[in-house]
Amino acid sequence: MRTRVLVADPFAIFRAGLRNPLRREHDFTVVEAEDLRGIEKLVSARPPDIALIDLELPPIGGIAAVQWLDEHSRTRAIVLSFEPRREAVLAAVRAGARGYLRKDISPEGLVRALRGVMSGEAPLSRDLAALMVDAIQRLSDGEETRERLSGLSSRECEVLDHVALGQRNREIASELTISEFTVKRHVQNILGKLELRSRREAAAFYRAAQIDPAGVGLLR
Amino acid sequence: MSITGRRQPLVAVLYSVPLLCEAISSALDDIAEVRMFRASRGDTVGLLRSLRPDAVVVDHPREAAEAREWSEEREIPLVHINLRERKIGVLRAGDWEESAGAGRESIRNIIAGAMYARGGVGS
Repeated sequence: MRTRVLVADPFAIFRAGLRNPLRREHDFTVVEAEDLRGIEKLVSARPPDIALIDLELPPIGGIAAVQWLDEHSRTRAIVLSFEPRREAVLAAVRAGARGYLRKDISPEGLVRALRGVMSGEAPLSRDLAALMVDAIQRLSDGEETRERLSGLSSRECEVLDHVALGQRNREIASELTISEFTVKRHVQNILGKLELRSRREAAAFYRAAQIDPAGVGLLR
Repeated sequence: MSITGRRQPLVAVLYSVPLLCEAISSALDDIAEVRMFRASRGDTVGLLRSLRPDAVVVDHPREAAEAREWSEEREIPLVHINLRERKIGVLRAGDWEESAGAGRESIRNIIAGAMYARGGVGS
């Protein structure tokens, strides 16, 4: 039984580049789409086994196409792009992609990767695998930050915001129109809940959370 | 014979994306001899000078820039398939003209047309 591969890319000459090496092999058949609408048509007629999706597929990008495929079919989606960024690889995998390939892959590499997909592998070049590991680590750091921050009350979050700006208790008290004693108590609670030793550590933690949007979301 | 004395015109493809070779070679397989060279090897002009192709296809702006002067001087058709920006440019009279089509047939027509125009394809 032949593996049906959908090649989805708006640039016809690149689709031809993907199609030709697959058509030479006895175990693949290829269908093509130039945008999400084309994918929808082909999938509703007969879902392919694998879909190769351009990251910038019109009209709203390849990630949306992967999501659509994930929701409407059992097609294994593989995203392709030039110079993949960590965020793109992670977004693709989170949307349901089974793998991510560089567009400068060799024809032999492409054939090998697709055969691997059919036997349960997730195609990802070595450098992309490193990007993924990095992204997952950042994600788990973000989750830990989120969990720790979720224990703070909204007032404590406000106080922490000012602590991170380097303000003293008196200044914070004045800005929030509360007593200096109350600010001091809030700071002690913050340090206790976040398991930190000093306001300097609390400020650093907060700044790190600001870099990580997942963490800072709870403070806003 | 082509103007360089070969039975079929010679098209040099300087590529950075191997899959492009698949598309180009199938588009030109019965009208030209296609030779592929990995881009970024340096001395693009030296390569073209020794190869003396009837047309040049590149997929990277660096090779397009390097091949431009050589191509202009000899009136050799130069085609830049910019995969990142999804554009095909053809060097005509010193200016890059954007091609409307981007399919296999368009590539074939662009290259064959340019070679015919300078007598590179035929008997």
